[in-house]
Amino acid sequence: MNDLINDLYQEIILDHGREPRNFGECEPHNKSADGHNPLCGDNLKLTFLLNDQNIIEDIKFTGEGCAISLASASLMTEKLKGKKIEVAEEIFKDFTNLVSGSDEELKVLNEEDSLYALKGVGGFPMRVKCATMAWHAFKQALKD
Amino acid sequence: MDDSKTLNLNVRKDFPILSKKILEKRDLIYFDTAASAQKPNAVIDETNDFYKNHYSNVSRGVHTLSVESTFRYEDARKKVQKFLNARSENEIIFTKSATEGINLVAQTFYEKFMQKGDEVILSLIEHHSNLIPWFFLRDKYGVVLKFANIQPSGEIDIDHFNSLFTNKTKIVSLTHLSNVFGTELDEKAISICKDKNVPILLDGCQSAAHLKIDVQKLGCDFFVFSGHKTYGPAGIGVLYGTENLLSEMPPYQGGGGMIGDVSLEGASYAELPAKYEAGTPPLVEAHGLGIAIDYMNKIGFDNIIKHENEITKYAFNKLNEIDFIEIHGGDNKRNSIISFNIKNVHSHEVSSFLDVEGIAIRAGHHCCQPLMKHLGVNSTARLSFGVYNSLEEVDKFVTALHKCKEFFNK
Repeated sequence: MNDLINDLYQEIILDHGREPRNFGECEPHNKSADGHNPLCGDNLKLTFLLNDQNIIEDIKFTGEGCAISLASASLMTEKLKGKKIEVAEEIFKDFTNLVSGSDEELKVLNEEDSLYALKGVGGFPMRVKCATMAWHAFKQALKD
Repeated sequence: MDDSKTLNLNVRKDFPILSKKILEKRDLIYFDTAASAQKPNAVIDETNDFYKNHYSNVSRGVHTLSVESTFRYEDARKKVQKFLNARSENEIIFTKSATEGINLVAQTFYEKFMQKGDEVILSLIEHHSNLIPWFFLRDKYGVVLKFANIQPSGEIDIDHFNSLFTNKTKIVSLTHLSNVFGTELDEKAISICKDKNVPILLDGCQSAAHLKIDVQKLGCDFFVFSGHKTYGPAGIGVLYGTENLLSEMPPYQGGGGMIGDVSLEGASYAELPAKYEAGTPPLVEAHGLGIAIDYMNKIGFDNIIKHENEITKYAFNKLNEIDFIEIHGGDNKRNSIISFNIKNVHSHEVSSFLDVEGIAIRAGHHCCQPLMKHLGVNSTARLSFGVYNSLEEVDKFVTALHKCKEFFNK
């Protein structure tokens, strides 16, 4: 099997793509946003609860999409739950650098992180949008 | 290998990009001609030659280069006229794309012939480019849009289509060959329009390189297609319209080249076809399209049709035998396009997997979101054929699909 494909579809990606974690709507929530990839039609809805200490208490998503977009959303919710907003924003920056094949040094993510499994997306430039859809929805929700 | 597998137009060598290795080792199998066709050497060389030896603006100067450019541009128009069997060169308008052609008709036909409450008939299988220009009329002017249903085969439901007409129906716009199903339009739809005396526009983006087009025989009032899907350059499109309608409709965009006489009080407009060609046109691209037409004619449409029918049938039957594949639409009047899904595998995964095998297919909604909703899918994978494809490539593709299925269901 081709290495590129094995890098892109690591077991953890296939697993989260088939059975996304934190799938559903967060109740109650005070932040939400829709993610949409107009090029392919994939979409998701992200909801989360931000408490008064700026900590993400709970975070969930629903939607339909390819294994990469579902796994990325699923792993994102696992990673961000319980994090302070400032930390979450650092993770966002690292993650977008990681999957876009940027040389920028990672500040908070490392090879031990499950999110690191999405690094293989860098070999498929047209799939970067799949991997970042949920993350941009997260950023959008913070703005609204 | 049985005899049928020797079928090949032997033109692969004409397309330099097809010798490219994908990921440095895989032979390229290009099954995405419906998105855009590859270009033969003739088109590449001739467009280079234009820039190197003949280039200037068209229809403006009197110097040698202006003459040479104008000659090439107008010669391309003659080629397109013959290609479509239009009555006159005045019926051939160069645009930047087929999309622009549809927008041009929607806007100017409305201006001349329609008002609030008038109706346009479209169908469920239209490409966004044959939906949104009409949505604009609905949103801006209160035009009513009606959509013909489709049958499970992918063909338009003619009875339903027929039932949509009222005395307010002013124009019909349908795809000549569906970019998702690959089904040809039932010509009954055109004869119904004729009977009711309602003009019909055919979106020929997917048909122009795969069927012999004769606009007079078809009896359509408008026909659009794009250069890049017919082995020519991107950035050039063609609008055919009957001289009657094009003469009556107002100009689309204003600018240089489309005027008769201008004073500060007003302007008169040029005769056809210049009336609809404001600004410097995509002249080199038009010439490239003319060369692409020569190229297709050299192969011959009888050969193209025979070749592509055979390969489409072959691929359809192969895919139909596979239990994990769901093909969208039937095999009646199917030409050069097959959309499918692997059960439980998203089309993106299929496309990325095939990519590293050297196989280029399209994945997504194919600019047909309403149709995807109707099919109950989020996206499909699509393979589409051109003159350079072969049955052997289909075999390799089928083998790769089995590997793909195995990989994602491991």
